[in-house]
Amino acid sequence: MRAFFRSTPRLGHRVWVPSLLLIVLAGCATPPPASDPDALADYRQTNDPLEPTNRVFYAINNGLDTAILKPAAQAYKFLLPEAVRTGIHHMLGNLGTPVQLSNDMLEGKPRRAGDTTMRFLINSTVGVLGFFDVAKRWGYPDHDADFGMTLAKWGVGEGPYLYLPVLGPTDPRDFAGFGVDIAADPFTWVGQGTTVQVLGYSKWALGALDTRSRLLGEIDSIKKTALDPYATFRSLYRQHRHSQIEEMENDNRATVPVWFPQPAPAH
Amino acid sequence: MRSRRFLLTVSAAWLAIGRGARAQSAAGHAAAFVKATGDQMAAVVNGPGSARQKRQMLIRIIDGTVDVDGVARFCLGRFWRQASPAQQKRYMAIFHQVLVTNITSKLGEYKGVTFTMGRTQPDGENTKVNTVVNRPNNPPTNVQWVIGDPGSNPKIVDVVAEGTSLRLTQRSDYASYLSHNNYSIDALIKAMQQQVEQNQASG
Repeated sequence: MRAFFRSTPRLGHRVWVPSLLLIVLAGCATPPPASDPDALADYRQTNDPLEPTNRVFYAINNGLDTAILKPAAQAYKFLLPEAVRTGIHHMLGNLGTPVQLSNDMLEGKPRRAGDTTMRFLINSTVGVLGFFDVAKRWGYPDHDADFGMTLAKWGVGEGPYLYLPVLGPTDPRDFAGFGVDIAADPFTWVGQGTTVQVLGYSKWALGALDTRSRLLGEIDSIKKTALDPYATFRSLYRQHRHSQIEEMENDNRATVPVWFPQPAPAH
Repeated sequence: MRSRRFLLTVSAAWLAIGRGARAQSAAGHAAAFVKATGDQMAAVVNGPGSARQKRQMLIRIIDGTVDVDGVARFCLGRFWRQASPAQQKRYMAIFHQVLVTNITSKLGEYKGVTFTMGRTQPDGENTKVNTVVNRPNNPPTNVQWVIGDPGSNPKIVDVVAEGTSLRLTQRSDYASYLSHNNYSIDALIKAMQQQVEQNQASG
């Protein structure tokens, strides 16, 4: 999901930030009256005070998706064999390892940082520029790490739900993390000129196609079975983020030097 | 004094062993139950027969293995208590349909589905069983099965796919629908009915 929108902040943010603020301020939801405590509790738990605005952006993104991204992802899935798509997925993941590594360290997870380093070394060489995930077979599985998760580890709350144009579901914490990850990514700063720019956009486009093509069935089935797809995606986004954060926090594998007795593997 | 402490230690150890053994056997039961249910479902999905026949067979499996009433009550949340007995009955009936349609629409298209069993862990009264589901032409998915009452009468109470709980998601869907429709349970039931009809018509 992250790689998806990597280049968006380069768009004319001087124009859209103030207009965005205007729309946001105009579209605040009215909380239910205090006389209805259950409804008020629901409202607080949902924590989506910008819901009317968010729903507008959801409708816009949905239109963009139906018109552009989904057909493109379908073509991508139709044209390329599964092995190639998986290879591209691995390559994109491999390009994300510098950011992943810095977040592993900022989260205080040495074993995860070690996994990421080994993954980068093995997959960039034996795995032919990241095309094959050899490291996973050698005992270094992948995991999620981004600055949104790092902020969560540092005790920053997620804040209210946000649905942004093009970017989709997020919250202030994850949106800030998204910006920091772009700034922390060496690929944001390396080189200049047409070739680098073309490569940058190709990576962004491939990331979008990769992510969307992996979710074709799921998104269709959600839209088909949900009474309120917007609310369903909101719930799914938060649950998914919570589970990523929980998995990171519970990953407390001990780092024992090889000359020490090794702890028994967890069951 | 010493003997009393010894006795205490022994009985505490006994309790711990007993509890451990019970948890162990609950975990074993839950894992065996998930394996058997998964095998049954995979056999139907991968087997011969029309979509209609497969749906009928899946309904039988779901009725036997899923705590449909419990999941239904959970998904309605606080509105369950506010509903009249007649509404509760209608809601139960339509929820059953919704669940079957959702599950069959998720499973139905994936001929060649396989799964591997992962570890099992207790979760309060329930037991969580981890599996990895592989569907051809799709990335593998981590699916966790939450099994209620694993010792005597195991039933599926929730399915958690990649960290997202089916029943929590469904509950927030209904809650949002209700809050945008004057908290009318009749409106919810009607919308559920329409949705089932639509999805059945489209296959």
